[in-house]
Order: sequence, then C-alpha cells, then structure tokens
Amino acid sequence: MEALKVWSLTASPLRQLLRLSSSSTAIYGRRSHHSSLMLRCASAASSSSSSNAATAETPKPSGRNRRAASSSNSTSDREAIRSIRLKKVEELRGQGVEPYAYKWEKSHSANQLQEIYKHLANGEELNDESDRVSIAGRVVARRAFGKLAFLTLRDESGTIQLYCEKERLSDDQFEQLKAFIDIGDILGASGSMKRTEKGELSICVSSFSILTKSLLPLPDKYHGLTDIDKRYRQRYVDMIANPEVADVFRKRAKIVSEIRKTVESSGYLEVETPVLQGAAGGAEARPFVTYHNSLGRDLYLRIATELHLKRMLVGGFEKVYEIGRIFRNEGLSTRHNPEFTTIEMYEAFSDYQSMMDMAELIVTGCAMAVNGKLTLDYQGTEICLERPWRRETMHNLVKEATGIDFSELGEDLGKAKDTVLVALQDVLEHKDKSGIGACSSLGHLLNEVFEVVVEPKLVQPTFVLDYPIEISPLAKPHRGNAGLTERFELFICGREMANAFSELTDPVDQRRRLEEQVRQHNAKRAAAAAETPEGKAKKDDDDDDESYEVTLDEDFLTALEYGMPPASGMGLGIDRLVMLLTNSASIRDVIAFPVLKPSPHIYASGSLKLEDTPPPPPPQVSSVVDDGDDDDQYVDAQVEEVVDHVDGLLNEVREEEGKEEDCALEEGQSNGEILKSSLKKETLDSEDGERREKKKKVQWVDLMGKELAEIREFESRLVY
Amino acid sequence: MEEHSDLPSRSMDMEVAATALPLNDEEYVYEDARSEECSEVEDADQKYYENRLKDIDNGDQDTYPHKFAVSISVSEFIAKYKSLFNGDHVEDDQVSVAGRIMSKRSSSSKLSFYDLNDSCLKVQVMADLRKSELDKDEFAKLHAYAKRGDIVGVTGFPGKTKRGELSIFPRWFTVLSPCLHMLPSPANNKKQEIWSPGHLRHPQTYVLKDQETRFRQRYLDLMMNNHEIPQIFKTIDNINKYIRRFLSLLDFVEVSTPMLHTIPGGAAARPFVTHHNDLDMKLYMRISPELYLKQLVVGGMDRVYEIGKQFRNESIDMTHNPEFTTCEFYMAYADYNDLMKMTEDLLSGLVKELTGGYRVKYHAKGYDKDPIVIDFTPPYRRIDMIGELEKVANLSIPKDLASEEANKYLVDACRRFGVKCAAPMTTARLLDKLVGHFLEGTCVNPTFIMNHPEIMSPLAKSHRSIKGLTERFELFINQHELCNAYTELNDSVVQRQRFADQLKDRQSGDEEAMALDESFCTALEYGLPPTGGWGIGIDRLAMLLTDSQNIKEVITFPLMKPQAQDAAPEAEDGKV
Repeated sequence: MEALKVWSLTASPLRQLLRLSSSSTAIYGRRSHHSSLMLRCASAASSSSSSNAATAETPKPSGRNRRAASSSNSTSDREAIRSIRLKKVEELRGQGVEPYAYKWEKSHSANQLQEIYKHLANGEELNDESDRVSIAGRVVARRAFGKLAFLTLRDESGTIQLYCEKERLSDDQFEQLKAFIDIGDILGASGSMKRTEKGELSICVSSFSILTKSLLPLPDKYHGLTDIDKRYRQRYVDMIANPEVADVFRKRAKIVSEIRKTVESSGYLEVETPVLQGAAGGAEARPFVTYHNSLGRDLYLRIATELHLKRMLVGGFEKVYEIGRIFRNEGLSTRHNPEFTTIEMYEAFSDYQSMMDMAELIVTGCAMAVNGKLTLDYQGTEICLERPWRRETMHNLVKEATGIDFSELGEDLGKAKDTVLVALQDVLEHKDKSGIGACSSLGHLLNEVFEVVVEPKLVQPTFVLDYPIEISPLAKPHRGNAGLTERFELFICGREMANAFSELTDPVDQRRRLEEQVRQHNAKRAAAAAETPEGKAKKDDDDDDESYEVTLDEDFLTALEYGMPPASGMGLGIDRLVMLLTNSASIRDVIAFPVLKPSPHIYASGSLKLEDTPPPPPPQVSSVVDDGDDDDQYVDAQVEEVVDHVDGLLNEVREEEGKEEDCALEEGQSNGEILKSSLKKETLDSEDGERREKKKKVQWVDLMGKELAEIREFESRLVY
Repeated sequence: MEEHSDLPSRSMDMEVAATALPLNDEEYVYEDARSEECSEVEDADQKYYENRLKDIDNGDQDTYPHKFAVSISVSEFIAKYKSLFNGDHVEDDQVSVAGRIMSKRSSSSKLSFYDLNDSCLKVQVMADLRKSELDKDEFAKLHAYAKRGDIVGVTGFPGKTKRGELSIFPRWFTVLSPCLHMLPSPANNKKQEIWSPGHLRHPQTYVLKDQETRFRQRYLDLMMNNHEIPQIFKTIDNINKYIRRFLSLLDFVEVSTPMLHTIPGGAAARPFVTHHNDLDMKLYMRISPELYLKQLVVGGMDRVYEIGKQFRNESIDMTHNPEFTTCEFYMAYADYNDLMKMTEDLLSGLVKELTGGYRVKYHAKGYDKDPIVIDFTPPYRRIDMIGELEKVANLSIPKDLASEEANKYLVDACRRFGVKCAAPMTTARLLDKLVGHFLEGTCVNPTFIMNHPEIMSPLAKSHRSIKGLTERFELFINQHELCNAYTELNDSVVQRQRFADQLKDRQSGDEEAMALDESFCTALEYGLPPTGGWGIGIDRLAMLLTDSQNIKEVITFPLMKPQAQDAAPEAEDGKV
C-alpha cells in the first residue's frame, strides 16, 4: 500500500508531462500510448547542443508516433546518450561551469518544504528574504517551454517542483537549463516559495547550479527495473527508480537501532568477536575458507558468534550481545544469502524462559518503531504480534498436528518410523519419507516430523519449546524431561526467527556432544562421498553437501572448564525480521547488495532481453483524470519544444499499427502484465525462486545471444 | 579484611586445592607459561582438573544449575549498603548475588570467607554456619566443595563485619558452575583502582601478565585483570555508541554493505580470497565499504554510514590485525572542509564525554616510559602536505607529480635523506615515505595533513584551485593515521582515468594499487552528488583512549599465530 502511495506521488509530475504530450500530440494529429515512453526518456532536447554529438550514433529524425524498439537501456542507446552528455560536460567546462560541483548548501529537504508551506494558497508567492530556500536533488522530470521550465527535483525525502522563469534567472542560466540539464542530473536550486495556480508547491528559482551531470539515462518506468537481476546488481538504479526501495533500508536501520536500544536498556554490552577463526563452530554449516598469507594458515569465516560470546561470559560480563555478519557457504534463495546479520545475546544466571520475554520485547518494539502497530501484513497473511505469544512444546505441537504422541513411542526407532509413516502416509511427500527414513534417532525423527508437518503452520508468533537433545548440541538438558533440552525457536509465518537455549555449561557434557556432532558429520560425509553424484544433484537443502570439515573448538571447551555461569542465549536473524516487518518476500530485498550469480559481462555490451514475455497487449484505455494540477494549460499555446527526444537522440523505432488510443498510460503502468519490484509482491513464493503460477524467464545475453546468467526468480504484477 | 590461615586439611582433594588456594600471595606464581616451571605448572593444573572432576562426580549436587535469580548486582549492593556501620547486620533484607569467587579463606569447617566478583567489583561473602539454613555436615561439605574460581550464587542478608568489611551473610550458598582449573594467583591483594578512559593503564599491577595468555584466553584476562580489562571493552562500546548517536543526530542512516566482494575495491590493500562453492565463484573479503556506500548515495540516500569489519591480508603487528573495525560515512552536498569541522566536533565531543576533558594521557613509548598528553581541544592543526614537505625538507618538488621528472626528483630526495623506499618506487610510494619521515612525526596532537596529490588518492576529487592535488585530508594523532576523508571524486571519466593510472602502478609491481571496479564507474555515470566521505579506524581510536600501544589490547580475540609456533614470541609485540 505504502509503496503504491509513493508510486503515485512520484508519478504525478510525469502525469503532467503526459498531459502535455497529449496536448502536443494533438498538434500532430496523433496520440499514441508510446508517447509516455518517449517523454520519460526525455531530456534536454536542445538540438543546438546535442546534434553534433548525436551524429556519433545513428539518430534518425523521426516522428513522435514511433515506438522505441528497446528501452533506453539498450546498449547502443546508452552509449549514444553517454557521448552526448559527455559532450555537454565538455561544453559546460568550456563555459567555465564545473559540472561536478564541490558542495551545495541546502536549507531544506523537499518534504520539509511541503510541510512548512502546505498552507500556501494557490497562486500565492512569498517574496520575503526569510522565505528564500535552497534545495538539492535529482531531476526526475523536466518540461521546457519558451520562457518557462518546470523541473521536478527528488531528494531523499520526497519531490518538489522547480518553477524556472527566464526573467528571474540571471544571464543565460535559462538557456543553460534548457540546453544542458537532463533527467537524472543532480541539481541545486535556490529561490522563493510559490504555489502555482494549479496548486503545485514550487520553488521559484532565482539561481541554480548543476551539481553532478549524469551520463546515463535513468531507467524509464515502463520497462523500469523489471529485471530482478539488474535490480540487485545495480541497486542504486533500483533505488532511483523506486524510492520505496531505500525505505526498506531506512526501516532496516531503524530496526537495528531499536534492537540496540532494547537490549542496552536491559544492561547489555555490545562486543565484537572475530570473523576470521581457526575453527568455525557454534552451528552446523559449511564455512567459507580463506588463507592468511603471512601466518601461512587457513582461516574460516565465522558461522555463528556463539562460542566467542560465551567466552565473554566466562570472562565475567553478565550481559553481552553482538550484532554481526555471519557467513555460510550455501546456495542462494529467497531466504538465504551467504552473508547475513544476526544478533546473538547472552545473559548470565538466567534461563530460556527469560529469553522468550526478550524475544517478544525485541520484535514488538521493532514493529512499533517501524510500523506503529502490532498487526502486520506479510505477503497477504495477517500477523498479530500482540503479546503474549503462544508457547508450546515441540511434542505437543506434533501431537496436535499428527495425533502422534512421541512420549509414548518407546525407544525403538524402527517402530517409531513405521508409526509415523503409517499415520502420515497421506500427508508426506516422497522426499519427506526419505527424510524420515534417514533419521538417526528419535530426536531427529521428532524434528523431521515437526519440520514437515508443523512448521509451515506456525504462522502466528509461536515459541516452540524443548527440542530433542540430539539436535541441540549447545543447549542444556531439560531440568524436567530426559532426552530434551531447554531450547526454543520462535516461528513467525512458518519461518524460524530466533533460536535460544539455556546454555550448556558443563564442559564434559559439551565435549561429548560436540564430539558426537563431529562423528555424525563425518558419517554423513562418508555416506555422501559414497553416494552417486546424481543422487544428490538436485537437492536444495542446506545440508546438501557435507564435504567440509568440522573440528572441535578446543579453546572454547577450555573456557567452559574455567566455569561459565548458568546463562541463556538467543540468536535472532535480523534480515528475516526486516523481511517480516517490511513485508519483503526475498532476503535480497532487505540486503542492499546481495550476493548474485556471477555475470562477468553484465556491464559490457549486450542487451537485456525478456524472453517469453507476451507481446504488449492493447493498452488499457482510460482517460486522463484532470485533477487540476496541471500547470501547463496556460502555456499550451506557446509550446515550442516537445520533449520526446531521448537526449536528442531519436530511437530507432518500430511502427505499432493501429494503437492510437488515447494514451492514458502513466509511467509504464501500461498493459497487461509487467514485471515489478518484489516489494509489491502479491503472493508468497511456494519454493525458493519457484512460482506457482506464471513463470517467465529473464535472460542476460551477450552480443552473441549467449546466455550469461539465468535468472529464475522474479515477480510479476498485474496492472490495475 | 579478615584474614584466616587455619585451612583445614582433610582429603587429598583439599591438599591439591591448597596449592591452588594459597594463603600467601607469593606461594605460587602463574606468570609465564613458557618459563622453566612450565611443565610443573601444567602437571599441577592437570591434577587439579582431574581431582575436581572426581569431586563433581562424587557429589550429589546439581553441578550445573539452570538458573539463579539474581536480585541485585555487586555494584548495586555496594552502593546500597556501603553506608552501614561496622558490625551492622540487616537480617530483614534478603539479597541474591552471583559472581565468581576470586579468593577463599576458610577459618574452620563452620566459617569461610569468599571474595565474590562481578566483572570488576567485589564483595565479601562470610559463610557462617550459624546464619546458614544448612546443617553442620552439609555446610562443611558445601564449603569444602566450593573453590576459588567457582561461580556461585548467594542468598542472604547484608551487613558489615566488625572490621568494616561490607559482606553478605549467606543463608543459602550454591555453586553454579565449578572452575575446573587453577586460576592464576593474585600477585598482590591490594585494592586496585578501577581504570577509566583518558587515564593511564598499569599493566604492572596485572595478576595475569603474560601477553600470549591474555590474548589467547581473553576470559582469563578479563577475570584476573578485572580492574582494567573489562573497562577497555566497555569503553569501546561507548565509543561506538557515541559515534552512532553523533551521526544519527545529523540524520545519517546506518546501513550494511557486503563483506564478500567480487572485486576488492575502495582501498589499496591485499585482500583475503575465499570461494563460494555453490556458485563456484571467487570472493574477496572486503578491504573497504567505500564503493558500496557511494552507490547508496547515488541511489538517493544522502547520508549513510557503516560501522563494520574490514579485512586485510597483511602481517600482524602492533597496529595491524587482519580484521579491524572502521566507521565510514558519506554525506551528500558536503566537502572536505565540512568534514574537518565534523571530525573536530566528533573527536573532541567523544573525548570530553568519555574522560570529562580534552586531554588524554598516553604511553606512546611503552608502559615503562613517561606518558605523553594528547590534547583533543579543537581546532586541530592543519598542514598542507606538499607545501609543508617542501618547507620542512627544503625541497622543490616538480609541479607535475605524474611526470618522470618528479619521480626522479623524489628518488633522489629519498636517497639524500636516507629515507628507504622498497621497490616499486612509484611517485606515490616515495611521497608517502617522505611524508612519513618528515611530517607524521610532528603530528602528536590531532593534525590534519591535507591536499594530497592526485596520484596518491585515486578516489578523491581534484582540488578546486590547486592543480594536481586533491581535496583530501588524513588526521594524524600520535603519529598514526586515524581518519582519512575527501571530497569524493564523482566524475566518472576522471575516475576511470585514475583507476587506469593505478593499474600502471600495479603493473610496476605495487600490489596495493587499486583495482578497476567497472561497476562502480557505471554507478558514477548515473550521477553521484557532490559528497564528502570519511573513514576512521575504531580500533586505533580505542587504542588512544584506552592507553593501549598494541591493537590486540582492544580486540576481544585478536588473531594469533597457531599455538604450535608459539615458541618464538612475536617480535613486534612490546613487552608489557
């Protein structure tokens, strides 16, 4: 919802543009839905300044009834635009203007101005010295007429219109503006405040300065950054095109800062523990290995912060935490990035019960800080975070879902497996069955049944308590139930958000359990090595490959021998929390620069192709709703330049016959199905990268048409 | 302090315990594990360990209880009850305190004294059978079991002994986690002043002095040298908090950018290489977050910062650890003049908040030499790099620094002054050496060295009025670089050219010249607003404020050589 709001806000200046085009195309007796496209690419179309450079490529003077065959991002266009703009850079320097300024003092942000001057009446202008403002931002829309130009400037906070009248600008600044400013440039402007007759708050510009000349065109919203891969690879372009993308990162910052506030007010101390370690412990995962040249030894990137934070407890700190990067050498998915952020926290003398309170405190605190309420929508599911959250043992949850009471199954693993397979024969898929067959203990079996049957159902926040000891090597045995540990995991939306235990403090027991873990790992490794490679080629699990080594962290065991106080500890995945609270479907939406498959030629020549995209269906017809914010009406008569050029370069275009409908398209909300930011995804992914319904293939290809990288995952969105 | 020396000797366990729980401070010194008595010490410890395990097995107690409800911390306890009169007992108050026993003195099977420590403060526990809920045998057994080093929970009432020692008189006493090893003995039992930032440290007062042990087993360092070491890490936390607060008041947004890079960029250093199995892709650990942070500014986030780890595959010494923490921020529409002012505000404000003043004492030459005073009072001295170098060394460096002529001139100058520069002798490296030789030494109080030549600063914007130079500064304190900042280069054409020049240096053998990051140049083409970028080494800042000469002092678990090679102590490490 919110995203959509931003969308319409930023779209409005372009709507005006569009209206202009509608009126201007009337002159040419033709209205085409393509015009929106061209307008978007529009830029300083001053023929005088750019015509020379334009010849660098093969510009065809062309009517405005043609359609760009490819988006302005296509390589040849980009190169042409680039050389035109480079030419402008040169010319500006020739005139003594530095197109890469050193500094700009801005007095306000766009949003501040909108707020301060919201009561300004239509047509009113403030000429008082104290109302002189200066602002800076990126030009996202631009219209130039004889003696008047409108620019829309966007900064971090929002947008504002610049009202540039020739008389008000000094010397030849107006000509400069028309000739040299392109959409995408960063501009500083100062002037007085005015609300136009049509009600658009504007800065009446008395002087401006080009702060940074952009060389590449912004993606037009029509094609936008529909390509997921490019969106992540060139995140900044995504952010320019979709301002709501940056909102996620701002919310992320807020969440992290809220977490810090919560734990600090409980007396926790933040410490940093090493990323590079001699042995990677604290979890079971494949680590990254690197090599330190001068020490001449292999080092592992940490897979958890647990073992070092516990050492700090041994050292006498009673409440410590670390928010830090964790690395796991695993495949990519909507929930997995090789590096991710967790908070791990440890509190001496307490047990896992108190960590449940802490988890509630942290998550609800973050929800309030970011959304201001405790209910939230995650990908179409309503989640209620009102406390208290359900706390139930794993045994009871499994019993509730399956009718199987594991406490009555007895010790015989084989029999237990049979019971499970019989009871769940309708529910289990083939791979689940083989998973159950592979379980090496009752504890593993219980966990397997839990993961398959119960986990997906834990939509509302639920603490799952008392995990089997076999799968919890760092947790203290349950004080009441043999075979179990004092451990919980927090599930929201079927996903694990946090994992916590009463920490195991007995060094003898700890050694035994870690040795058992190593033994099991080695057994799996041996089994995996014996297995045929095809057998496990298609496995998508985390533990698909066991060919790494697990070693005991002897230093940690020694630390425990010095005595660690009874303690509870919790790890909470910050990326997943951010996903939840920002309604993001993929972890890649909450990590600014996610790890992506290699794409060596991504910036080299070679154009982006969308395969299997349906040919554009006829545009939806709707008429422009004149909401009266059009400042252009009164200048209609003096329109002399219509800005449909792409930097003066007219694209090679293709006639699209019979599509002359009144173009009411806004910003590429054109026709049929287009690909959109996953921030606005409608449905939950069924599996990593797999969609249930329509699936299309996006390809990066090089000049030879050879596929460079395959992108499986993207979202489509129906246009309203 | 009540002293009792009639330790009952009963079991064989207790005899071993006696060696570990000396009545007399000098009896046993666990100072240097590599000393002659090394094996003897290890044997004793091994025996102690085995006996302790036996002890635990024989006991019927819950060796590792799950929880202990602490009602009051040691420091709160002291604050609340320190005003009691000698001999006062407040039997109606019940408190529960937990911590580690740092010393134990038993006067009889009915009376034992303990010093209970939380991270840095201690309180006496006077376990008296008459006040206990246990019967005689249970009491005796429990207090024979409890040893120095154990973590215990005590529930009882507060009071002061006749001699004025604030104490807890336990009704219940529980061992929460036994310590299976002998703790190093206290060299002296004198009450140590708790260290606070801006003051000098006193390593000679440490119980655990051996550096190797201190860094490898940081928990022992924290435990034994608890009048200083816990404060060091609390100070680092406070430094980070202050920086976060400072930046967030200026509307900066904290972001995180990748630590795994496909191209190592943003700084000149040798990176760590790793491999992603699933993607079969080579990845580098980041050496700097710069290029990513600037991309976020391109994307419209005008003020961003990141506090995080950087990784450089370089040798370990007094000021270098392979992973270290930096803070970098980027501020659109600001230039390096603004950043110098901000640097002054940030550092002086931080020092003021932590120490109460602007002057910090620092053992610049080692703990056995007289300390210096570093004055953080703003404004800081500003010196122009080339101008000052020419003045101090009486040089006249050719204006075109990229020329062969300039290179020759500097090679010659270095030779003349006996300044060593290992190959490759690029102009940038030669200048760096000369600056190190002539200028850095003069920078004890915070000093900005500014306006570096373009050839030394591939990511900085050319100076707006002086050709060949950039708008860059480095802040030096105590002759070490602490901050590095510049007006960011945002002209993609010039950026490409600078990268190409770096490539030349690379080809001439300078491994640390920067790699070309094409994707970053592409980002610049979309337009980076005029931006000031700034970085600070948090570890080095922490060193200055914690009177540490070795970076390992401010890193919880510094990277150490594998223990097998321990025989030769690290040459670079100064002896404490």
